Order: sequence, then structure tokens, then C-alpha cells
Amino acid sequence: MRRIADQAENEAPLFHTTMRLGCVQKAVRLAVGGMLAGFLFAGCSSSSTGKPVAGLSGDPIADGHRMMEAGKPEDRLLWGYRGAAAAMRRGQYSDAKRFLDEAVDRLNGMLGRDRTASKARSAFYRESKKTFYGEPYERAMAFYYRGILYWMDGEPDNARACFRSAQLADSDLKAESFSGDYVIMDYLDGLASLKLGADGADAFKRATARPRIAIPPAYDKEANVLFFVEFGMGPAKVAGGEYGELLQYRLGNSPVQSVRIRAGNYDVEAGPYDDLNFQATTRGGRAMDRILERKADVKRSTDAIGDAAIISGAVVGATSRDNEEAAFGLLAAGLVSKIFSAVTKPEADTRAWDNLPLFLTFAAIRLPEGRHSVSVEFLDAARKPVATFSKQLQITVPPAGRDKVVFVSDQSATPQNL
Amino acid sequence: MNRCLIACASASCLALLLMGCASGVQNPKGIPVTQMNADERGFVAGTGVESQDLVAVTDKMARSILGVRQVASAASTPRIVLEPVINETRFPINKDIFLTRIRTQLNSKSAGRMIFLAREQMAALENERKLKQTGAVTSSSDPNVVEFRGGDFLLTGKLQGLTTKTKAGTSDYILYSFQLVDARTSEIVWEDVAEIKKQGLEDAAYR
Repeated sequence: MRRIADQAENEAPLFHTTMRLGCVQKAVRLAVGGMLAGFLFAGCSSSSTGKPVAGLSGDPIADGHRMMEAGKPEDRLLWGYRGAAAAMRRGQYSDAKRFLDEAVDRLNGMLGRDRTASKARSAFYRESKKTFYGEPYERAMAFYYRGILYWMDGEPDNARACFRSAQLADSDLKAESFSGDYVIMDYLDGLASLKLGADGADAFKRATARPRIAIPPAYDKEANVLFFVEFGMGPAKVAGGEYGELLQYRLGNSPVQSVRIRAGNYDVEAGPYDDLNFQATTRGGRAMDRILERKADVKRSTDAIGDAAIISGAVVGATSRDNEEAAFGLLAAGLVSKIFSAVTKPEADTRAWDNLPLFLTFAAIRLPEGRHSVSVEFLDAARKPVATFSKQLQITVPPAGRDKVVFVSDQSATPQNL
Repeated sequence: MNRCLIACASASCLALLLMGCASGVQNPKGIPVTQMNADERGFVAGTGVESQDLVAVTDKMARSILGVRQVASAASTPRIVLEPVINETRFPINKDIFLTRIRTQLNSKSAGRMIFLAREQMAALENERKLKQTGAVTSSSDPNVVEFRGGDFLLTGKLQGLTTKTKAGTSDYILYSFQLVDARTSEIVWEDVAEIKKQGLEDAAYR
């Protein structure tokens, strides 16, 4: 009896501890389960109304129209951008306008609260959950292309408005050094002003103040055929850093370094005025970079804390039978911390307007009204034509008072009747 | 000891949760666009031309033109030609919509005190006249006599903008100015302006 009583006496605290541990375990299980459920629901609570879409056709214009309609709402502009660039190169300007009109409207109205942007700032959502407007160099290109189309339609003042917006989209006045610095936007702003009877001198001065590659020529107000030329492959976005939290660029490249335009008695060579590699990589840091950096810090530290807590819990549990409760608490805390780390998403948004050119240039000549043959050769560093890119165009120059706007890319269709 | 460890673990969890909520960016949610009076000092800068601006500006211009002495007390009903508005802002807009609304407002409120000439229809009108001259269609008057009216006044306008962009946001001031010019003397018989300033800040996720 004594032995039984002693045994009962010895076992009572153990039973009591087991009961208490059982309660703690239940509580921890509930807590962990609740948190897991919370994370799962958080992951499932996307507001996306995008419907499942079958495979893409590979045609950026058709895919653009289709995906804008049926794709994820936050990617709508991305598809529009890609479709617009392809449409410009094929001479399908009405398609390009449809894509770009929406882009310009939305870019001019992106101020204020945005639910998708709030999500993108949250630790538990990727940056790519936000509505895609593009980085400043991409936004600037949307305005640039729309400006070309306005000029094509005989609206140089609206074209100028787009070039001004492009320059503004590129500017970040946190530091003077990151203010809008596209040469071609200022140059075209000045040319449009001159043609509208205003003074384009200030814009020309800005355009020629900091040339990085080619220096644009003085304006010829009477030049009535305007060539907007682009070539090369633009920069691509990649994610760097331990968790992909750093937005980095893989620089674009181009075998073409300049362009030669032959029309009538003209033989004009133009070098690039702007380089999208430079524009993409020199604007300074984004506010989102700081947010992603914090997310990465949270992910890193919660992971480390989780490791430390789990190891500590195991050590405490293994070395002392009196501290099992604490050991379990540490293990649970470590697990929660690891889960927190796992669901933190610091990855940078690498969605990109992936069919942008590398270089932009411009040339203006005078031609009489009527039909003209134009050849455009894209020259390599040795100033020899890259045969695969040569274009043949038939253009119709309108009566005096209106400009003929010709858009040419090394990726443009050839021959073209414009 | 146990309580201490549990407290430490709980504090760690709480710290983790709080860390996840902090973005470290000022005004991370952005500031919504707010329309302001032009003479009101804004906290930053603005956005483009919208329908409410169009209505406010054209209402003001139409009221103002009705009071012009040369129009109100003209011996014969003045004919007005609309000239395209010049856009000098950074916003591409449908410029003709301003003159269209001013014209419709004036036509509905002036009770015939002024008449607008449909110069944008000249190509179609000339074609119609040619059809009448060739006898392809009937004519109620002699089609060889020019009856297209000349304008007594030209109504035109200009939109000019001033943009400021700082880390605090973007601001746009737009000055809408309209003129009525005597087509015979080149005198500006009427001129009026409207000003609108807007400002906003995009979400930190886009900055």
C-alpha cells in the first residue's frame, strides 16, 4: 500500500503536468491551426476576377486584345503595352491606339488609393499583385508611342502633350539627377511647339544640354516628313537578392547602332538619341524597393528566429524534464515564426513590357506632296547595313500644312504602304 | 524560468507580426486626387482635364460671351466661326469638345442672338453645292450664287498647363483661355479665363 501510495504520490505531479501540457498543446494546436487557416484564407482571398485563359497564340496583338479582356485585371496594361508595340511595327495603328488610349488614361489617373497596391505592400502578397503600370521608362514609352500616333493624325499639340507626359513619367524629383532626361521627348516637344507657331527653343536647349549618344540637329520647321525610328532589344527585368527582392535589369543589346534613311534627294544618317538601358537603370530607387527590403528582412529574421526557437526548444526539452512546457512553447513559437517566414513574399515584380526597343532616334526631311519611295537601313557599329533589318516603304506625303509621320522599327514589317 | 521563456516567445511572435505591418514608407497608401480652387494653395500637384472641368469652364465662357456688347447689341445677328483650341498642356485631350459645348450652350441660351457657322462641314457643303450646280439634285435657290456666310467673329481658345512633380506628389494647374476676335478688325472683343488646379500622390507601390 505504501508503495502504491508512494507511487501515486510520485505520479500525481506527473499526471498534473501531463494534464497541463495537454491543455497547452491544445491551445498551441488551436493557435497554430488558426494561424495556418488565416494564412490559407489570406492566400485565397484574391479579388482577381480573371477567368482561366487557354494558351496564347503568340501574336502579341491578338493576345493583347484577348488577355485584356480575359486575363488578370492587374495585367491588363501589360498586355496592352505589348500589343501596342507590335501593332506599331505592323502599321496597325488603330489597334495601337486602342491599346495606348487606355494606357494613357490610366497612367494619368493612377493617383490615390489602389487596393491592389495595398496588397503588394503587404508582407503576404507578391509585388506582382499590384496593377501593372510599368516602371517609369515603360510608362514614358506608352506616352511616346501615343504621341507619335497623335502627330500621325495631324494633332501635334496632343502629341506634344504626350511627350511632356513621357518626360514627367520618367522624372523622380527626389533628386535633381533623376529628373526626366529623355533627349527625344524634349526635342519633339520643341519641334511640335515650333510647328504650332510657338517657341521651341527652351525644349531644344534641354534636349541638347545633356546628350549621351547622338546630338539632335537644329530644327527645320519646314520639314514635313518625320521619321520616328527605333531599334534593338530593350532591357529585361530580373529578380536578384536572397529572396528575389531586388529589381534588377538585364541590359538590352542591339547589333544596330544607327539608321540611314534615303528618300528623294535625301540621304540622312541618325544615331540614337535615347537608350532604354540607361533610362531603366538610372532613375534612382523606388519606394517599393524599401518595402521589399523590409519584407526580405522580415522573412530572413523570422526564419532565423524560427530556427533559434526550434533549436532552443529541442535543447531545453532534451536537457531538462522540468522544462517540457517551455520547450514545447519554444517549439511552437519557432514553428509559427517559420510559417510566418514562409508566407512572407518579398519577390520583386518582374512583369515587363518585353518588346520595347533599345534605342530611339528621329529624323525630319522635306518632301513634296505625293508618293515617295523610302529605304531605311539599320547600320552596325562599322556603319554597314544589317541586311535583315532593311525596310522599303511607300509613303504618301499630304498637302502642305500637315506632316507625314513615319514610324519605323528594325522589327517593322516590310514593305509597307503608309 | 518557464514563464520567462514563454513570455519571450510571445514577445517574439508579437514583434514579428508588427514587423510585417511596417512598410517604412511615408504616405504608403497615397493621397486621393482632390479638386481645389485655383487660388488655393495645394499640398502638391495634380491631374488632367475631366468632364467636370469641361462643364465648369464652358458654362462660365458661355455666360461671359452672352454679355459681350458687340454681340448683345449688334445691328445684325453676328456670325461666329469656331477655330480649333490649342492644347499646350501635358494632357492629350479632345480639344473640339470645349468649343462644341460652348456652342451648344450659347445656341440654347442666346435665343438666336448669335449664329455659328458650320465650317467643319465645308467639304460636305461644297459637295452638296456641286451636286446642285450639276443638276444631280434639286435646288430651292440658284446654286451658282455663293451663299456661304462669312464670319463676323472667330471664337478660339488655348489650354496651358503648369506641372509640378515632387516626392510629395504631382500637381497640375491648367489655364483655359478663350477669345472672341473681330474678323474684320482683328480686335479681341472678348476674352475670359478659367483656372483649375489638381494634385495627388500615387501609391508607394508605384513610386
